[in-house]
Amino acid sequence: MKLNYLFPNKYKKIGWLIFIPSAIIGLITLILDFEPNSLDFNVPAIFIEELLGDKHFFGIVNNNILNEILGVLILLSSLLVAFSKEESEDEYISKIRLESLVWAVYFNYAILLISSLFIFDFAFLWVMIFNMFTILLFFIIRFNWQIYKLKKFVHYEE
Amino acid sequence: MKNSIKVERAKKNITQADLAILAKVSRQTINAMELGKYVPSTVLSLRLAHIFEVEVSQIFTLEDSDWD
Repeated sequence: MKLNYLFPNKYKKIGWLIFIPSAIIGLITLILDFEPNSLDFNVPAIFIEELLGDKHFFGIVNNNILNEILGVLILLSSLLVAFSKEESEDEYISKIRLESLVWAVYFNYAILLISSLFIFDFAFLWVMIFNMFTILLFFIIRFNWQIYKLKKFVHYEE
Repeated sequence: MKNSIKVERAKKNITQADLAILAKVSRQTINAMELGKYVPSTVLSLRLAHIFEVEVSQIFTLEDSDWD
């Protein structure tokens, strides 16, 4: 009954504080293709594809870890924003949460479906990069919009 | 499903906000229930009945559409 896989309410604010700057920095570095040499490292990899097309499992690759750091920060912080409890997380809020989640999954995959039909080759890589984050982003937007509407536009009777 | 939460609330002379605190839910939930936009769980229904000191069936009534 009480188990709901959600974080305590205070983590929502922490999530936003990490999410907004890392999303902005992430977007800028992605667009400008910014990779500072100081963050080039030899790192362990599970699956490797060499330039010539050789594929193999397990090894060491040289990689710029800036996008990994930002990716992790964005993913973890958006999970906190998405799945921290509301101040008054009751059964009605939970219902709105579930509906928003279903909506976000449909919306995300509708966009992915259209993209996969009309965007090709390396251009599709951009779609995949954004798609890593959009399902949570669509959920966050939808859920918070619904909660906002609920609080703002409901006419209370005393 | 129809409910008489508003009527019971009037009898007890309490606001939606008061009822929300007593039932340990948000004001929005009370509002949504009164407008028929949300059907509460069994637990919340029992809490409401307890607060109003009536039977659950006195607050909630089935409609024909509930059998579809």
